[in-house]
Amino acid sequence: MNAPAPAAVAAPFYQAQGDECRLFEAAWQQQLPVLIKGPTGCGKTRFVAHMAARLGLPLITVSCHDDLSAADLVGRHLIGDGQTVWCDGPLTRALRQGGICYLDEVVEARKDTTVVLHPLTDDRRMLPIERTGELLEAPPSFMLVVSYNPGYQHVLKTLKPSTRQRFVAMSFDFPAPDVELAVLMQETGIAESQARQLVTLAGQLRRLTGYDLDESVSTRLLVYAAKLMMSGMSPQQACRTALAEPLSDEADTIAALLAVIDTQFPAR
Amino acid sequence: MEDIVGGWWDRLVRRAAYRGYPAAVVELESIAGQAPLFFRAMGGDPALVLRSTVGTEHGARRRLIERLAGTGTKVELAWRDSQAFYLPDKLDLYPDPALNRQLYFWLMALAATPVPPGDWLNRNRAATAACLAAMPGLALVYQRLLTALLPMRPDPAKLPEAEAALERAIQAALRQPDIEQILPAIAQPPLPVPLWLHPAPPLVDQAGAAAQHEAQNPQGKRPDQRSRRRRYRAQRVAQDERKNGMLLVFRAESLFTWDEYVKVNRHTEEDDDNNGEAAAEDMNRLSIAQDAHTKSSKLKFDLDLPAAAYDDSPLGPGLKLPEWNWKQQRLVEDHCIIKPMLPRDAHPAALPDRLLPLARRLRRQFQALAPERVRRSGEASGPDIDIDRVIRFMSERMSGVAIAEPALYQAWPPGERSLACLTLADLSLSTESWVGESGRVIDVIRDSLLLFAEALSASGDAFGLYGFSSIRRQEVRLQVLKDFAERYDDNTRGRIIAIRPGYYTRMGAAIRQSSRILLQQPAARRLLLIISDGKPNDLDHYEGRYGIEDTRQAILEARRDGLLPFCVTVDREAGDYLPHLFGHRGYVVVQQAQTLPQVLTRLYAGFTR
Repeated sequence: MNAPAPAAVAAPFYQAQGDECRLFEAAWQQQLPVLIKGPTGCGKTRFVAHMAARLGLPLITVSCHDDLSAADLVGRHLIGDGQTVWCDGPLTRALRQGGICYLDEVVEARKDTTVVLHPLTDDRRMLPIERTGELLEAPPSFMLVVSYNPGYQHVLKTLKPSTRQRFVAMSFDFPAPDVELAVLMQETGIAESQARQLVTLAGQLRRLTGYDLDESVSTRLLVYAAKLMMSGMSPQQACRTALAEPLSDEADTIAALLAVIDTQFPAR
Repeated sequence: MEDIVGGWWDRLVRRAAYRGYPAAVVELESIAGQAPLFFRAMGGDPALVLRSTVGTEHGARRRLIERLAGTGTKVELAWRDSQAFYLPDKLDLYPDPALNRQLYFWLMALAATPVPPGDWLNRNRAATAACLAAMPGLALVYQRLLTALLPMRPDPAKLPEAEAALERAIQAALRQPDIEQILPAIAQPPLPVPLWLHPAPPLVDQAGAAAQHEAQNPQGKRPDQRSRRRRYRAQRVAQDERKNGMLLVFRAESLFTWDEYVKVNRHTEEDDDNNGEAAAEDMNRLSIAQDAHTKSSKLKFDLDLPAAAYDDSPLGPGLKLPEWNWKQQRLVEDHCIIKPMLPRDAHPAALPDRLLPLARRLRRQFQALAPERVRRSGEASGPDIDIDRVIRFMSERMSGVAIAEPALYQAWPPGERSLACLTLADLSLSTESWVGESGRVIDVIRDSLLLFAEALSASGDAFGLYGFSSIRRQEVRLQVLKDFAERYDDNTRGRIIAIRPGYYTRMGAAIRQSSRILLQQPAARRLLLIISDGKPNDLDHYEGRYGIEDTRQAILEARRDGLLPFCVTVDREAGDYLPHLFGHRGYVVVQQAQTLPQVLTRLYAGFTR
């Protein structure tokens, strides 16, 4: 956890859906923190990785969880040989390096954690480290990016309005069919006809969001399915393992999902 | 002897004439669980429900043996209208059950596909073409179905000229659905095409009117589940305006068909037996007209005490409670008698299927509400090292002051949120009124209680569910739906399902009693949630100012005792009086009653924050 992403040599592939890349760049130049919302597996993390590589910045990703404390972000004293050693947390490290700190699924983090971000996200752009008495000032290239999934809303787990208001926000959704088609082909090298079938199938399954499924099939799952198909698995089986089973645990729902899959990839 | 031989012959010839393969039958029930999801995934309107069709007369030429047997006049075809999508009750067209099953899915995909206007042949043809183009897997299924179907179609060469042209057009459309066909004009209908939707489904407005009619008679005895899904072909006719129906002066045989609409001079029957249902089953077309009579089984015993046998079962003689008299500005002791009761006819029941998806979502959301664990430092054992204490311990040891066994660990024992919630629902007769399309207020309250209880039981908080109504001050009825001590299980669910509206709203007494119950709960915060649909009122002087002042007094008392009273109402005019009762932050008006479950759960989540 909290491991820095290895500095990418070439920018990871990202298929732009609109002018989100330009927006992100403008926000970086103006030193504004960015909030990205969007369903699971629609490309939020990939987008940030892509932009970090494009801007030539180190990217430090923190996957937030409900026990993430302020110390986990900022840093803590560790016990060394009879003495304590201060160890920077990912946020402090990103600050010192002047890179992008990306907090994934920020709503999962405890509420007090997000308050640590407040002095970083206004015009002060600084991080006070209480334990060492240090006051870190953010270099111009530092950028804070947080993301969360509004579809997966816990009653309690939403961002505090006071936190939300400090970010410029971008909304992501699953790409349009043609874009998704390009993504699938680029990511997996799958033939266009099969990719098109997968995208059509995704469109059918996404109609069920909110009725039968809490959340529908993501671009990531489609990529998985395509990868399985590329490895020689039958399309039927690839879709079953990558699309039907991950979406539900109920036998009836899975049977119906399989029937939907059958309309694109029939059982031989 | 003649009878027996006749019976044999009948059975024999019917079996010989039957077109399907009963051994390969696939019932609609077997796919009913998957059908709605599949239909929606194919692009069908999510609001439509699944229904089964009845046979309609197709009027096509029958084979000799069918005419001998007197069968084959009706066919069950699928169709869709603005209310539902209809599938045959069972399919045994093909000798292979797998094909029959696939036929169901094919029909659903077809029904879900939007079609351009046109004649029935081209509508079906266009929908088929659209399905085949979008779904290669389904195209394969279609080919299989078609290959098996074509030998069953009549040979155009053996048909009269006009019919042959039609049959040729149908077969061409089946084989090549992407080429437009011209529908030959012909009086004789063709043999029905089971791969297509109904050529002339009952019109939309008729079905809509029928549904409305059904909705307006919610008290009528419900047919069983299976027949409720069945859809009868209905026509709407104007009520015969003549005051008295005609006397049947002619001989009954001269009536053309037995489902023709004739007004006869007799009263609405009150039988409980299912003769009517059986007749509906046999009719091709039901005529529906509105008359001024209502069956008395739909009347409620609202104005007087019901017979004891029909009443809810009282629990003990009752408790005396005070009431606030605002004219005298004093609390009148022992003014009301409150009677805890259990709903009659409550049978253990599971959560209704239609609420399951929402309940599942709520449960998941509310599991997140389960008391958060708090990190506690300075524990003697635990999963994590308490670094601050280790540092202190080390520095102390270095300076020579050592403690034998310091507590150097951190642990996360489950925290206690300590919240108790009592929900008090208004079950007075006014909840029988209708709110838009979503049903009666009582239905919305029932669903809300069920879902709210699901959510609360997932959150792990103590909760109780009560309902109330009243008949004067002698009888304030408190329905115990779920006691705090009880588990939320099928028994309590059954009680919630059994709630019925009745009587009046003596809110003050109900609130006082609820407060007493809630005060016995050992929780740090105690929430008194009141679901109401209108002002307090009762038969005696408990109305207007008196009722409101008494209720306000009861709420003030609850506040004084440290409870958190809160009101959720579906009464849109509640803004007039609720601020006075609950304070302007103490209530919420639900503009659309059907959203009540969501509002309740969202509210609760807000309280627990």
